[in-house]
Amino acid sequence: MVKRISIVLSLILLVPVFAYGEDIAGCIVCHNAMAGKIEYNGKVIDLNVDARRFEISVHGAFACTECHERFHENPHTPADNPVTPDVKKLSEEVAIKAKADPVALAACSKCHEDEYRDVLDSVHGRNVVKKGKADGALCLDCHGSAHYITKKNDKESPVNRWKVVETCGKCHGNEKLAKEYGIAKHVMNSYYESFHGKKYILGHKRAPTCVSCHGYHDIKSKDDPTSPVFGTNKIKTCGHCHKGANKKFVAAITHKDPGPIPHYAEKGLIILTMSVIAFTVLHVLLEAYSDIRDVLFRRRKEVEHEEGKGYSG
Amino acid sequence: MKKEKDTQVNEETQEVERFNVIFRIQHVIMFTTFLLLAFTGWGLKYAELKDVSSWWIRIWGGPKTAGIIHRTAGITMLLDFLFHVVYVGYLLLTGKMKIRKETTVIPLPKDVVDVIHNFLYFIGIAKTKPKFGRFSYAQKFDYWAVFWGMFIIGLSGLCLAFPVQASAFMPEWTTGWIWQLIAVMHSDEALLAIVFILFWHFYNEHLKPEVFPMSWVWLTGRISLKEMKHKHPLEYELMMKEKRE
Repeated sequence: MVKRISIVLSLILLVPVFAYGEDIAGCIVCHNAMAGKIEYNGKVIDLNVDARRFEISVHGAFACTECHERFHENPHTPADNPVTPDVKKLSEEVAIKAKADPVALAACSKCHEDEYRDVLDSVHGRNVVKKGKADGALCLDCHGSAHYITKKNDKESPVNRWKVVETCGKCHGNEKLAKEYGIAKHVMNSYYESFHGKKYILGHKRAPTCVSCHGYHDIKSKDDPTSPVFGTNKIKTCGHCHKGANKKFVAAITHKDPGPIPHYAEKGLIILTMSVIAFTVLHVLLEAYSDIRDVLFRRRKEVEHEEGKGYSG
Repeated sequence: MKKEKDTQVNEETQEVERFNVIFRIQHVIMFTTFLLLAFTGWGLKYAELKDVSSWWIRIWGGPKTAGIIHRTAGITMLLDFLFHVVYVGYLLLTGKMKIRKETTVIPLPKDVVDVIHNFLYFIGIAKTKPKFGRFSYAQKFDYWAVFWGMFIIGLSGLCLAFPVQASAFMPEWTTGWIWQLIAVMHSDEALLAIVFILFWHFYNEHLKPEVFPMSWVWLTGRISLKEMKHKHPLEYELMMKEKRE
């Protein structure tokens, strides 16, 4: 509670333009002009912050030290400012994901506490905190750098409706990761080739994206009984759009490989189509040839022939 | 001599009805819905060509409107087809239409012979064209292609338009692949239908020198005796024989 109040108070204090302007100015004067990247603890990090983009981001009113709590001196050595205890604890759990400042990565939880909790309990978060792997997605992997986060409906936002599929695809379309985590092969393609995906590509406003069925912050593995796409949970999930969805119907909506039947049926249909095209084109071309031939060489003869036939018949 | 000339003039201008107004309306509904279906379905089939397809679909009012047009046209076409079947059944039962080898649209062994005969004529081996009845093999092909299309594309289209209801009819062991199969059937056979119409129907009824720019039968329903004698000699002979009797 005290923490919440302190956050709210500090936010109120930050609102006046002059107060934050000075606060941020000390950092941005250098960090706005840092060309290139440096290597730090074996990771390549970008120290530059685009002040203009930061200013128009949803976090543009924050002081740098709001998230980068350890840094206080200018220049900031040593970075040993005391950190909020909750953030400190969390920063240790997610440290493997951080390139340079795990505290800043954990600081999202100061305002987005519920979302952060959901993420840590999701299949993405558990991979980080339980298995200690850097592959699980945390805030920045989907939302982009905290410096430039825009509203989720903004057209620049990587989690907006028209970009979120691509964002998921950064990892889920990655063959190496798919193999390591047993993600269904070609999961992105199977979406794009489905009617859902095709409508999405064409800009259908109600076509489902990944998150429509799978959820987002609290996303679970498809094998987790709490996942919206696990077993009979699908009845409710599909039912959002398909009224009256039942067990038999929902079984059809899947990323699973449909096996050889549709594949060979398609091959058969292609052969049929090709044969019909071959026959009709050949017929049309030959007929056109014979028409031209008749006009040039046989016309008179045929007219005579037909007239003769007409009178005799 | 004079008399002969009169008959000829008469044949130039005298016309007989080939398709009554009910058939003509069926045809207009058929080709209007066909074009609408082809235009609106094309964008969805090739959605992966994102820029072109989404531009094309926007012309049709966006993906939602295009979908409504597609479903409406599809159901109209199916109803048109069902009406046709019922109507022909009615004509046959009441004896207003009779099945005769010279006038029927039903494929007969002679049609196969006609195909071979015609090809031989095309390449110059046969000296005369085959003599067709009321419907040449090309026209029979055109006609029955619609039945094939209705069966394959119409049924799969109904499944795709009403997936929840359709799934009730699918056996459980098919759910893993049947929808993919239905989607493939619908879109590939639609492509076949479009290509077929484009090459076959367009050449035979529009581009052919003798009918260019189009055969007007679809509007007037009438055909001159001269044209009938030329294109459908067996039907002409049958008609003349009946007239004499």
